[in-house]
Amino acid sequence: MKRYDLIVVGAGPAGLSAAIEAARCGMSVAVFDENTKPGGQLFKQIHKFFGSKEHQAKIRGYKIGETLLAEAADAGVEVFLNATVAGIYLDKEVLVQIGAAMEHFKADTIIIATGAAENMVTFDGWTLPGVIGAGAAQTMMNLYGIKPGQRVLMLGSGNVGLVVSFQLMQAGCEVVALVDAAPKVGGYGVHAAKIARCGVPFYLSHTITKAEGSDCVSGVEISQVDEDFAPIPGTQKHFDVDTICLAVGLSPMSQLLKMAGCNMVDDPRRGGQVPQVDENGETSIPGLFAAGDVSGIEEASSAMIQGRMSGLAAAAYLGFLSEQDKDNRLADLEIALDSLHQGMFAPGNKGKTFTKTDEGIAVSQSLLKKGYLDDADLERFIHRSDQTDEKSGIHPVIECTQNIPCNPCQDACTRGCIKVGKTITALPRIDATISCTGCGMCIASCSGQAIFLVDEDYAPGYASITLPYEFLPRPQKGELGTALSRSGQPLGHAEIIDVRSAKTFDQTTLVTIKVPVEQAMTARFYQPETNAAGQ
Amino acid sequence: MNRISEHPILGETEKGQLVTFFMDGKSMEGYAGEPIAVALKAAGLMVHRYTHKAHEPRGIFCAIGRCTDCVMIVDGVPNIRTCITPLVAGMRIQTQDGVTALEVNE
Ligand SMILES: Cc1cc2nc3c(=O)[nH]c(=O)nc-3n(C[C@H](O)[C@H](O)[C@H](O)COP(=O)(O)OP(=O)(O)OC[C@H]3O[C@@H](n4cnc5c(N)ncnc54)[C@H](O)[C@@H]3O)c2cc1C
Ligand code: SF4
Ligand code: SF4
Ligand code: FES
Repeated sequence: MKRYDLIVVGAGPAGLSAAIEAARCGMSVAVFDENTKPGGQLFKQIHKFFGSKEHQAKIRGYKIGETLLAEAADAGVEVFLNATVAGIYLDKEVLVQIGAAMEHFKADTIIIATGAAENMVTFDGWTLPGVIGAGAAQTMMNLYGIKPGQRVLMLGSGNVGLVVSFQLMQAGCEVVALVDAAPKVGGYGVHAAKIARCGVPFYLSHTITKAEGSDCVSGVEISQVDEDFAPIPGTQKHFDVDTICLAVGLSPMSQLLKMAGCNMVDDPRRGGQVPQVDENGETSIPGLFAAGDVSGIEEASSAMIQGRMSGLAAAAYLGFLSEQDKDNRLADLEIALDSLHQGMFAPGNKGKTFTKTDEGIAVSQSLLKKGYLDDADLERFIHRSDQTDEKSGIHPVIECTQNIPCNPCQDACTRGCIKVGKTITALPRIDATISCTGCGMCIASCSGQAIFLVDEDYAPGYASITLPYEFLPRPQKGELGTALSRSGQPLGHAEIIDVRSAKTFDQTTLVTIKVPVEQAMTARFYQPETNAAGQ
Repeated sequence: MNRISEHPILGETEKGQLVTFFMDGKSMEGYAGEPIAVALKAAGLMVHRYTHKAHEPRGIFCAIGRCTDCVMIVDGVPNIRTCITPLVAGMRIQTQDGVTALEVNE
């Protein structure tokens, strides 16, 4: 039987991070993953991450994955693929199915980082081909370059539903509607706004009542729900779709931990059955750790930190790291993790309703109900001298109105126009006393695509608006199209006056449109003449 | 067409060699190494199997090998999860009906 100092189950962000830290401390480390490729969910995530520099904010998920793999290889981590861990026994022995063979491995420490499984909901016709999980959609389009369908309805307005909706449009699919039984959008407002401005309608307090079709999905019926989430008769709406995508939450895949005999708890805020763990992820069984989604559904950035913490703790447990070094290094990671655990979307705040931001500003109800800020919200969130006719040239407008852990905008502006401050969940503020050069770095760095550059004095009667654009075909200078509002409504003609892409913009194209000056604060997206947005 | 020719973030998808395989006897093309289910999806095929008793259609659901909705008969072997099984030139794929092959009239 092969022996290691550490066995890690799952090669997602948590497992890889754990393995890297442990191997760097000198441990022999084996990682098992059931897939043909390592990386867990990371390679399906093509958006720029939130957080701050130490969380690798503004870097796209799949690139973080590439870095982790290189680091793991460098540190001498052995990664076994097509290797499903089927059992875990006393004395830290695991049974692994590698291909058709069953093999036993033994270690002195084990870290379980098996991630989460997608939740499902049932409705009439839910088993029809064409009803798929959001993870399946991501896998098909981002790993294998294939569209899950042409016309898609998304169920679920959490970050997964929002992010995958946007990715569907990037892949060239049409998203006909975003539906959620909850009365408000569950994910980040900036993610919602990105898809609302492409014209995707939001149906909150609605659910799917029927998937239509005989051999596969040809349509879907949704209905409004009452406070008890029961469909209200007579409120049905129909959409022609070939795909229904479900993004209704994740549950920790904690079976192995249960099998090992760890103390488990049922914690809805962590997503279900999770192991009891200390602050470094150690379970009730000494030397057995859990990290990432398996010990509480969060996101990839915190999974990586938790992974590193458990890797270091395992190293200290076996004496590969002195207690003092462990404490020093864990202290830094704890601070990094803690900063992600702040704000309106913190794991501890799940289910809470916020009426005001930390700054005391009333939150946008429109954003929570329809996915975009309405005009009244702008007055509260975007105050600038130029709203009072004062001429001041090009300036950033930041439409980021919730306390989320994110601050790349602050780092992006080397001139200091944008300030978030020490608490990374604070709303970004604009320092209007510093003049903006229009370089566009803030737009390209903003993970939420929530920053625009506006110049009300572009030409007499016309304003210019620079916006982030991540669709194909890339607009060309001189092209004529339509300016869209925050809700995706056509406002009138827009001319492309500049298109910028740069390596530092990382695939985000900066498109500048010319619109009548009255639209300076309303036009937020561009639709090419012949295509609908995102097609 | 279901294939994404160019992606705004990911660029062009790396593909293996274009190969021929057989779907219920009909010749089709796909890229070697990609999951069978992806090649079938590219060709617009939705139904992978029919359930044993109720004869209900099933297709891709999870795409990561967990739900078994996508199983088909591959080179004579039933219950192959096509979403995680790589395509090989000349493969014979059949729609599964219960645990046997669906009869196809050609
Ligand atoms: C559809 C979907 C979309 C998401 N979108 C985002 C997003 O946009 N941004 C974001 O930050 N987070 C997102 N998340 C959440 C994010 O992916 C997770 O928080 C993060 O990946 C957790 O990392 P992890 O390492 O804990 O788990 P994972 O990344 O899930 O990795 C776990 C790995 O373990 C493997 N495994 C499980 N059981 C076994 C076993 N018994 N034997 C061997 N291997 C096993 C799994 O196959 C997987 O490869 C999404 C999650 C899903 C499901
Ligand atoms: S455009 Fe450049 S100078 Fe202006 S706010 Fe953004 S980063 Fe700063
Ligand atoms: S504006 Fe700043 S804090 Fe808000 S999403 Fe963009 S980068 Fe993050
Ligand atoms: S689609 Fe679920 S196993 Fe293949």
